[in-house]
Formats: sequence, C-alpha cells, structure tokens
Amino acid sequence: MWQFIVRSLEAATIFTLAGQGELVDQRAGVLNVGIEGVMLFGATLGFIAAKETGSYLVGFTVAILIGALLGLLHGFFSITLGVDQVVSGMGIWIAGFGLTTYIGSAYTGPLNMERLPTIGGLSIFVYIAIAVTVILWFVLFRTSLGLAIRSVGENPSVAEVSGINVQRVRYACTIFGSAMAGFAGGVYALSYNPVWNYNFIMGWGFIALALVFFSMWNPLFLFGGAVLFGLLWQISLNPQLVLPGLMSRYMWRTVPFLVTILVLVLISTEWFRTRWGAAKPEALGTPYFKE
Amino acid sequence: MAAAEVREAPVQEEIQEWLADVEPGEVILEVRGITKRFPGVLANDHIDLQLRAGEIHAILGENGAGKTTLMSILFGLLQPDSGEIYIRGRKVQFRSPLDAINMGIGMVHQHRKLVPAHTVIENILLGHPRAGKVLNVRRAEEEVKALAEKYGFNIDLRARVWQLSEGEKQAVEILKVLYRGAKILILDEPTTALTPVEAERLLESVVAMARSGLGVVPFITHKLPVVLAVSDRVTVLRQGRVVARLETKDATERLLAEKMVGREVLFHIEKPNVEPGRIVLQVEGLSTLNDKGVEALKDVSFTIREGEIFGIAGVSGNGQRELAEVLAGLRKPTSGRVIFDGQDITHAPILERWQMGIGYIPAERVDMGSIGDFSLVENVLLNFYFDNAVVQHGIVDFDRVRQLTRELIVEFGVSTPGMDVEAKTLSGGNLQKLILARVMARRPKLLIAALPTQGLDIGATEFVRKKLLEAKQHRAAILLISEDLDEVMMLSDWIAPMYEGRIMGIIPADQARREDIGAMMAGLPVEEKAQ
Amino acid sequence: MSVAGYRIRLRRRTTLPGWEAALISILAVVVGLVLFSLIFVLAGVDPVAAYKNIFSYAYTNKYGLTLTLNRFVFLAFATLAFIVPYRAGLWNIGMTGQLYMGTLAAYAVVYAMGGKTSPKVPLNPYVVIPLMVMAAAAGGGLMGAIPGFLKGKLNVNEIVTTMMLNFVAFWWVAQMIKEGGPFMNPQGRGESFVLPYAAYAPVITSLGVPFTLILALVLAIGLDFVFARTKIGYQIRAFGRNPLAARYAGIDPFRIAVLVFVVGGAMAGLAGYHYFAAVPGVYKIARNYSYFGDLAFYGIICGLISQGSAIAALPVALLFGGLSVGGRFMQGKFHMKFGVDYALLGVLMITLVAFQFFYRYEVTLEKEEESLHVAVHR
Repeated sequence: MWQFIVRSLEAATIFTLAGQGELVDQRAGVLNVGIEGVMLFGATLGFIAAKETGSYLVGFTVAILIGALLGLLHGFFSITLGVDQVVSGMGIWIAGFGLTTYIGSAYTGPLNMERLPTIGGLSIFVYIAIAVTVILWFVLFRTSLGLAIRSVGENPSVAEVSGINVQRVRYACTIFGSAMAGFAGGVYALSYNPVWNYNFIMGWGFIALALVFFSMWNPLFLFGGAVLFGLLWQISLNPQLVLPGLMSRYMWRTVPFLVTILVLVLISTEWFRTRWGAAKPEALGTPYFKE
Repeated sequence: MAAAEVREAPVQEEIQEWLADVEPGEVILEVRGITKRFPGVLANDHIDLQLRAGEIHAILGENGAGKTTLMSILFGLLQPDSGEIYIRGRKVQFRSPLDAINMGIGMVHQHRKLVPAHTVIENILLGHPRAGKVLNVRRAEEEVKALAEKYGFNIDLRARVWQLSEGEKQAVEILKVLYRGAKILILDEPTTALTPVEAERLLESVVAMARSGLGVVPFITHKLPVVLAVSDRVTVLRQGRVVARLETKDATERLLAEKMVGREVLFHIEKPNVEPGRIVLQVEGLSTLNDKGVEALKDVSFTIREGEIFGIAGVSGNGQRELAEVLAGLRKPTSGRVIFDGQDITHAPILERWQMGIGYIPAERVDMGSIGDFSLVENVLLNFYFDNAVVQHGIVDFDRVRQLTRELIVEFGVSTPGMDVEAKTLSGGNLQKLILARVMARRPKLLIAALPTQGLDIGATEFVRKKLLEAKQHRAAILLISEDLDEVMMLSDWIAPMYEGRIMGIIPADQARREDIGAMMAGLPVEEKAQ
Repeated sequence: MSVAGYRIRLRRRTTLPGWEAALISILAVVVGLVLFSLIFVLAGVDPVAAYKNIFSYAYTNKYGLTLTLNRFVFLAFATLAFIVPYRAGLWNIGMTGQLYMGTLAAYAVVYAMGGKTSPKVPLNPYVVIPLMVMAAAAGGGLMGAIPGFLKGKLNVNEIVTTMMLNFVAFWWVAQMIKEGGPFMNPQGRGESFVLPYAAYAPVITSLGVPFTLILALVLAIGLDFVFARTKIGYQIRAFGRNPLAARYAGIDPFRIAVLVFVVGGAMAGLAGYHYFAAVPGVYKIARNYSYFGDLAFYGIICGLISQGSAIAALPVALLFGGLSVGGRFMQGKFHMKFGVDYALLGVLMITLVAFQFFYRYEVTLEKEEESLHVAVHR
C-alpha cells in the first residue's frame, strides 16, 4: 500500500511539473497544446543522454534544455510569427511523437542505472514539485513579475502601455513552461518509468493540459488535481488494491482518460462557468502585435 | 520589441527629479514639425504644438484629422518620420510607451487600458517602477488614496475593475498615470463614455490637476462644449495639419466646428414625417443577465410602431447591448415577454427571428457583424443563406448572391476594389455600410441598430443616418441604440434614456429637453412623461 | 532587414490566392523532404539513393504500389475525418479512436451474424458487406459525436476530449480482441478472429485495392462540393471563421459541432473498415493495430497542407502514403532504426508549422532606394 502511495505521488509529481509550466505559459496568454510532444522529447533525449553518459545530471539537463528549446520554437512560431497557437502546439506534439519514435527506437528497454536516492521514502522530485507549486503561487499573486505575467495574459495591450514588454514576458513564460514539461518528461523516463518505449508518455501531457483548465489557473488547485490523477492512474494500474473484480484490467486503463473528460465537462457546466470562469486569462490563445 | 530594454532604475529617478520642479507657465512639452506618413495618407503634416505647465490645451479634430496618430507619437506607440519632441527644452525620442511614461507623459485612453479581472490597485501598480519585486500593496494604497483625495476621486482600490462604472474606470486610469509621476496628461475623448454628471465631475478634477501644475491635453472630436468649458487654448487639426490655434476665450462652438470640418456644418437633419402604424414590437417587463451573471436589464417595457424610431440614449454598459441581444435572440431573458407582430417570440430561435423580419445591426461590426476572412459576397450571404430567393434544395445560387452584392455595393456606396476582396480589408465606415446594406436589403419590419455610427467619419455617419430615416419611411420600426445624445434627439420619435439596466422614462422627441435626458442618463429622476 | 542593397519586407496578407496557397504548400512539402533527408545522412545512407529507392518502390514496384494505394485510401479517409471539423474551426485529433470504433462496429456485424466460427460460414456478401460499411461509419460517427456534443453543448475543449478518447478506444480494442474478449482469435495470439470469405470486400483486381478507393474519391469530391456550394457547407465555414457572426446570423453552433464531428468520425470509421476489413491479406485486427492508429495522424498534416480542401488533400495523401510505405521498405533494406515513417511524420509537421508563416505574410525583396518612399506600417 505504501508503495502504491509512493507511486501515486511520483505520478502526481510529473503531472504537477508539466502542468505548472503550462499554467504559467497560459497565464501569459500562450497556449501550448503540444506539451505531450515536449514531454516525449524530454523523456527520450534525457533517457538517451543519461544512458550514454551514465549520469542522471546530464539526463535531466538535456531534458530541460530540449524543453526550453521547444519552448523557444513555440514562442517563435506563435509570438513572433503569429502562427495559430493550436497549429504550432499540434506541430510540436506530432513532431515529438514522430521523431522520438525514430530516435529512441534503438534504446528500447530499461535504463539499467542505479535508482535515484529518496528522501523519507519519496523521490526528491515530489519535494521539488511541492516547492515549485508554492513558489509559483507566490510569484503569480504576490509579486510584480506575477502581476506583469497575469496582465499580459489578460490584456496585452494594457500591459504594453503600462511599460511591460509583452513579447519578452510571453517568450520567458513559454520557454519556462516548456522547460518544465521537458523536465517532467525527464522525471518520467529517468525516475518514474525508466523503460523506454515508443510514445510511452501515454497522454500524460494532454492530461496535464486538462488539469490546467481544471485548476482555474491556480497552482495550488493544479497540485490538488495532479495528486488526484496520480492516485487515479495507480488505481487504474492496480485495481485489485482498491476495487477488485469490478472491471477487466483493460477497462480500468480507460478510467483516467474518461475521468479527464468528465472533469472537463464538470468545469464547463453553467454552474462552474459563472463562478470560476472569470479566472480564464482573457487573451489566452490570441497573438499580440503592437498597434 | 526594441523598447523596454532601457535600464530604467537610475535614469528614471534622475528624470523624476528633473521634472519635479516644473513651474506653472513654463513650456513643458513642445512638438516641432511632426510628420507621419502611412501608405496613401499623410496623417500628420508638420504639426507644431506647445504645452505649458498648468494649462489645458485641447486638440480638436474629426476622425481622420490625425489626432490618433499624433497621440500615438506623443505616447511612443508610433515614431514620426520627421520632427522633434522636446520636454522642458530637452530633445527626446520615444521608441515605446515606456520611454514616454518615463519622460512624464501619461495617457488616458478612450478605450480603457485596464485589466478588468484585476483589482484597481493591481492595475495602478502594473508596470510601476516602485511597485517592488514583491508587491507592497499597503504602501501603494495609502499613496494612491492621498492622490485620489487631492483631485477629488473616490474609488474603492480593492474592487475589481469590471465592477466599476465607466467614469470610475477613467478615474483609475488617471490615478494610474498620476501615480506614475506624469507631468503631462493626455486625455483621449475624455467625456465620451461618461454620463453628463460624471463628465462634470471629471472636468472639475481636470481643472484641479491643471491648477496643481500639470499640463493637460484633451483630444476631442465631438464634444465642443467641453472644450469651451475648461480649456485655456485650442489647436484644431484637419487632414493632418494644424488649421487653427486659438485662445479659448476667442472661440465659439460654431467657429470651432467650421474650422474642424472646413465648411459650414448642418447640425440638423430633416426628419421625414411618417404616420405611425400598428404596433410592431412590444416588450413587457424584460430582464436578463450579462456575461458575468449580473442582472443587466431590469424590467424594461416599451412598444414601437411602424414608421417609428425609438431611441435608447445612454452610456454603453447600461444594459443596451443586453437589450439588443435579447431582442435578436442571442441572449435569453430571465423574465418578461417579447411580442413581435402579434406573436410571442420571447423564446424564438435566432434564425426564426430573421425569417420573421427582424434585422439586427450589431455594434460589434468586426467581431459579430462580419466574417473578416470571407469575401463581400459571402458576407452578404450571411443574412440570406436561409432565404429561398438564393438557396434552392440546399444549394446556394451564387450568381444571384453576387448580383445582390453588386447592387448593394452600388446603392450604399461601399468603396471597395471588388466584391471578392475579404471583408477585413474594408475600412470601418465601408464595413458598416455593407452590414447596413445587407440587413436593410431584407426589408426588416423591425430594425435594431446598435451604435450604428460609432467610430465613423462625418460622411459615413450622415449616410447611415439618412438610411435609417429611409427605412423609417419604408415603415420599418426601428430601435436605435446610441451613446450620442445628439444623434438620438436628431433621429428618434421617442427617446428612452437608459441607466443601469432600466429605462428611465419614455419621452416624445418634440417634448425632449437635452438637460432632462442628460439627467436621466445619469440616473437622476425626472418627472415622467408617459408614452 | 536588408541584405546586399535589397530590403526584405514582410507584409501581413490581406488575401491569399489559391495558386499561391498551393505553391506554399508544395514548397513546405519539398522543404520537409529535404530536411528529412538529414535522417538518411545521419544513418549513413545517401539521401538521393534513399529517395530513389522510396519512390521507385512506392510507385513503380507492383507490391509497393498496392501497399501505397491501400495506404492512400486509409490516409484519405483519415484526412477527411480531420478536414470536416477543421472547416468548422474545430480540431479532430481523435481519428485514431474513431477508426478503432468503426473497426469494432464492422467486426461486431460479422460477429453477430455468426461469422467468427469458421472462415467458410455462408453469409450473403451483399448483406454483410454493406452492413459492415454502414456499421463502421456509424461506429466512428458515434465516437465523434461525443466530442462534438460536448463542444457544442458545453464548449469542452475538443482537442483534449478527442485525444483522451483515442486512448480509451485503444484499450477497448484490447478488451475485445485479447484475453477472452468476444472478438478474440480462437488460436489466441492477441488478435481478432479472421473475417469469413464472404465478408471479403470486393477488390479492383488490377490494383489490389478494395472498392473503398472509389468511395474515398467520391466522398472527397462530394465534400468539396458541399463546402463550396451548399447552404450547410456555408454554415459550417461561417461558423469556422467567426463563430460569433455565425450565431448572430442564426446558425446553431450546437448543430454544427455535432454534425461535423459525426461526419468526421464516420470518415475515420471508414478508414478503420478499409484497413482492418477490406485490404486483401489483412482481414483481421492485428496485434499491432496501434500502428494504424498512429498512421491516422498523417490525416492532420494532409488536412493542414491542403488548407482544408478535400480534393487537394488527395495528392498529398498519395504522396505520404507512398513515403510511409517506401520509408518502411528503406528501413528493412538499409537496416535503419524502427520508425522511419514516424520520423517523416514529425519532420513534415514541424516544417508545415513553420510554413504557416507564409500563409499569413508576404515576403518581398525590394531595392533599397525604391523602398524609401513606402513606409512600413503594421
């Protein structure tokens, strides 16, 4: 049972890291629907780097850097060139899906490295995720930088005339968000599930995306949602621990995905929308050019 | 993107210090020979301007006279092709709004530059150099409060901006630029969106600001009385050039108007005499919510007959949009009934209303009234795709639609290189003409026109008004929603001022007095004159 | 920016003529293929030889051509599945799940008629085959109806829902064909039962391609006609370009959202029918069924490159069908790593995104002096 909780929290960590990055990105008004692809890149290249050098540090560095690089790319497409953000995000997802399948195929199989040390039985990333959550909440709601980010996402032209460099804030947030997704991919491939297989992120990036919507763009709620999904994922893998004999194991595997849809439906109902809907960054998904 | 790379901190303080001892009467801002050209237009042609500390210097001009360009240049949003700007005799160059802000220029926009979802104090602190890395909200609140008291503003700093009235929002913007240390205040159409009462209060504050040594530059299109009431000097622009510089005491309303337009202006338009017919629209106790879930329309009742123009006067945001949308079927009412042509259409779907003969000209021309990526032909189809005249067995007869479009373009004088260009290439006035043409081509029995002349130049405005009167002659019932009290009084048979979701009274046009309607728009009770 | 006396100017486009859009799309594909040749270079294969091999296998070799055409039909359906919602401004990335559901529905027809027991079960092909086709379309359509309904009713993000349903459908297929599922092959092996002879789809013998080829072509042409000339097509396009204006004009957003997703899903369902029930030599849901699910994502690229035109998407689908077949062939012949066709997918997609820029901006070169009198204003 302890093992079950540990695994759940580790899964939650990955949802949190990827989700918090995307949350910051969206708070600045940039939507990246391709975090699944960024996670695949981070996971695959991080995995390969770690395996080739035998160093976790190198692995994580590569994962974060490739994430940042993809963020820069998404920023260039969607901020500078004004390409539809959904098109750009989709491009990054499919590119990640396609290219990592090819790049990683020679590395199919386990990482075979000594596991990372734990603190109090939990992976260090759990603590990192909690720290990130708290710090982001503070930055977003208690600092000038956070105010600038939120304003850029709500109404970029207001931010511009207040002396904020909209493009720079958006770039920074997009790169940060994507680097976090790359990092999350690294944690997935190097700590949570260190066995490379093609497309092995299994939709977690999309679930993280849904969690951001669900969180109403608040890091604390996002963390809560991530923990729930971490638990849910573990239940779907080990239903015998909780509800034995209810469904076949394949049917259990569909549960996290169905619950994701259910959650999105819930937050889209009239009741939720009138109460929480105001939280949505007003300029989300719209490119901004100076007049 | 170049702009905000400037390392502000030390420089900024230096400038603040340098600006601190400005004396009333000294020339604080000077503009010499500003010229700005856009493809095909000379927007600013060697404009010279002088502003003294402590004076109110109004800039007057029609739409298209070059006001917006000049304002954008003064605020660093645009760079001039040639010409210089001096602050206290020192030549400056603004590459971005931040540069302008740092040189003591504060801009209060007509379209409020505030984040509605954030609190007042958050908006004021946004981008402020002394906000601190970690926001020190309490200190800022105290300082802003002191500033507000000095100039007679009364604002709840913790409120969210979307909860405020237009006048309060404007006050927030003024406080924001003052708190940022502005010495020169540029006001874009300061009284346009305000009720008469709010406007008066604003002008008092503006005078107070000038008294305390600020240079104030209001840019004004229509509200000539405002200019005469508070300014010290006036500069009039026409076609990008300065055509007059006057002391306000030497100016009259008519003189200014003539300078602006370059010809004698007819302030009145001949209203055709149409005998009202049977009742077309009957609204009973209508209420609804706005997008935020707040009641925005409260128990509204009125009727409109054939050949009548029913004018709703009021500042935007008082429920006019919601009223129009409920009548067009875009918004569900929470209570009340709508009867059109004897039928209850309270819950009728949008399409059915079009088919029954209700036509809607939305205020949101670009966002709702047209499809920018579609050709003019396909935009005309937007109000005809359900019409058997152009669609048979589900197949669109495009020849027929093209012919119709051609006719409308000619009749309404839409200036365009052709009907296959995308609608987004049209100017605001031409787009409005196209929408008007398309809706009026349906010969609606009820025409809902929301802010039909907003943002149009004088020529297009006159044209739209003429067409509305034409529709009246064709015995359409017309609901006219306008912020422009003159327009409402000029066109309507009945005038209904709206305030906070309520109709404050329904007054026959021939008995309407400007002052009464102005007061009612501000929510002040006036003796009712029933319909 | 200026280079050697010339100034490079960017202008936001106000119009994009059809031929120019086509040119940009073709250029995007060409650049994508050039970039893709890097993969061969890195694998130590001469790119020119590689492309020669790919194209000659895919389009001139008899076996290769049959494979290519079958893939073409599959991609064409997957593309239509993407295009129909795309014209309404909605993103269907759920063609994978929809095609799985279409496939399951087609197999359910055979299963219900007792076709599982033996390959020689005497079924009437004139009954069973049309029923399978209809069931596949209905199954895919029903799966598509879910995101369509949620989008139309509650504005639920369709990208996430369709993607989630892909995973759901993936496991549903496993449930049906593995570990005692009703469609399990009697011999085990983790795949479905083999269709009886009577359910084999009629084949255009000279090409080795089932009748679905004709169906795909007819549907593509029909769809373009619908979008260009009919009332419903206009309503869908209007909604896609400006939902608010569409609503203002009385177009019901709910109806549009459901309709496009049901039609799109049905197209995907047909893709499933084509590959798992009609292509000669397959006639079963194989163990690696997810490969074809992944392949369906090519539909997104084809749809984007063709700018939403179904007819224009056909040559694109033919090209990518051939490339993926040829890529697989290369993988074997030159002992390259697994996933060459996946890599192609990725490279093409990222190139295409970069090229989106050219759909929006006009790039012109001008001599310095001449450009002086034209001010740039955005």
